[in-house]
Amino acid sequence: MTIAAEFVGVTQRFGDFTAVDGIDLEIPEGKLTTLLGPSGCGKTTSLRMLAGYSLPTAGTIKIHGVDSTTLPPEKRGLGMVFQSYALFPHMTVAQNVAYGLKIRKVGQKEIAARVSETLDLVGLGHLSASKPKKLSGGQQQRVALARAIAIRPRLLLLDEPLSNLDARLRVQMRAEIRRIQSETGLTVVLVTHDQDEALEMSDLMVLMKSGRIMQSGSPREVFANPANRFVADFLGYENFFTDKTGIFRTVRPEHLTLGAGDGERLDATVVSTAYRGVDLLVTLEAVDGAGQTVRLVADVRNGAAVEPGTRTTVTADAAHLVTLAAKE
Amino acid sequence: MRRPVAATLAVLGYLIMIVPILFVVATAFSAGRTLRFPPEGFSLQWFEAAVTYDPFMESLVSSLYLAIGATALALLLGVPATIAIHRGKIPGRGLVEGLFLSPLIVPELVVGLALYQQLMIGFGLDNLTTLLLGHTALLLPYAVRVTGASLALADPAVEEAARGLGASPVRAFLTVTLPLLRPGIFSAALLGLVTSFNNVPLSLLLQDREFRTLPVTMLDYVQQSYNPRIAAMATIILAATVVIAVIAERTVGFAKIFGGINR
Repeated sequence: MTIAAEFVGVTQRFGDFTAVDGIDLEIPEGKLTTLLGPSGCGKTTSLRMLAGYSLPTAGTIKIHGVDSTTLPPEKRGLGMVFQSYALFPHMTVAQNVAYGLKIRKVGQKEIAARVSETLDLVGLGHLSASKPKKLSGGQQQRVALARAIAIRPRLLLLDEPLSNLDARLRVQMRAEIRRIQSETGLTVVLVTHDQDEALEMSDLMVLMKSGRIMQSGSPREVFANPANRFVADFLGYENFFTDKTGIFRTVRPEHLTLGAGDGERLDATVVSTAYRGVDLLVTLEAVDGAGQTVRLVADVRNGAAVEPGTRTTVTADAAHLVTLAAKE
Repeated sequence: MRRPVAATLAVLGYLIMIVPILFVVATAFSAGRTLRFPPEGFSLQWFEAAVTYDPFMESLVSSLYLAIGATALALLLGVPATIAIHRGKIPGRGLVEGLFLSPLIVPELVVGLALYQQLMIGFGLDNLTTLLLGHTALLLPYAVRVTGASLALADPAVEEAARGLGASPVRAFLTVTLPLLRPGIFSAALLGLVTSFNNVPLSLLLQDREFRTLPVTMLDYVQQSYNPRIAAMATIILAATVVIAVIAERTVGFAKIFGGINR
């Protein structure tokens, strides 16, 4: 695996607040890496340090093996797509895309060719003469993407690129960015707070909390084996309990079934139910192996209705039961 | 009308503002010899009298000279100050901004007297230089506030995007930030020109025989002679102002120009 960029013990403090707390991270070449976490976890700050917009308080940032910690953004050769898109409002779409090429003193003909090639790649060839404010949010997003790609960046950095789009377009653009990434072979670092986006798009998924990396790995690895309660919680595990042998475990709602089965069993009482068409969400209360009252959620498909107050045995499916290293 | 009180007040406001001006305009076209309403007959003789009256024309040139100079100076100082206030990491930026806005609050007579004492008596500067400095100070709040308003509206990420694409800080400023500030700078310039041109208190205190602005000259004139020449001159200024206002409205829009001040 070639390393495109590397964080070594990188810390960022703003006054008393530690935004990024000594992270070590290797960004693999030609892959899509996502920095995932709730707001304030340090993911955007990390991206901004990689881009050169923010100087780390401590640590080293290497790009292609070269210490680039204090290099100004214009010398890094990275493409960045901002959450607000940050298009130049006084320039046309084509002029926006050409901006970085002009600075690189690329010839007129070459610029024209690369601008139209890049706009075709993002499907906006027909809008090259428009001003950004005439475009929809999704189109502006594509212009921002084209502008960043046109300079043939060493890395493409995307800061919450889809968060300002409506739900349907967001899902479309996930595949679109994936397609562009595989067609160009670019190394991409994407910041998001949306776990579905990260799961669907990443080769490498890095979960952050309070300026630290909680876990990193492929989406499958992380999803199936969350390392701690925070990661599990963030990825939609809702049932946390201590089993009879005193081990802290978790299971997803769809792997908790009503009735006795193969797995970890608990005696529970139904608290409430929510019918949602395809499934029935049953909230229960149980006393776990440590004697604590825990709240459980079972996602039941094709099940009969149950009444609140019903006492029942629930089974956490043995095949999907995850043992957590840390309770927090 | 769904809001009779508001509508009545609006109409009343327009009447109070416009009617006195109409009286002045009407008397300017008088064929008589005194400022009187209704005017006696119709003629353009007082306009001719106004534009051929040397003190008016000389002081008009002085006023324009002063207004243009002071506006240029105020922008040269104010625009970088605004950028520092909004984008820089200067400590106590509220205080700095307050300092630049303070000429709006300090009575102009006090400023004028201070400039008279310090610059003219103390440093022995001439009237023109002192007036230029005084008017520059007077216009700084507009330069800082109005350009600041358009800077506040601009996304700071735009400049970062330019840097990321390879632009040096200077190039990013010239190719991205400055074009975004253009409407703000234009508005500030316009407000500055009008404010300086109309100013009486500072100009009155710092005048001398060689250099005197049009409003001060008109004030002198009306104390000595009471004829329609002054009304004609006022009408010419009014017409010029209307032309400027129309240009401003067409190019930038009034809401944008004056919206910046009260933010």
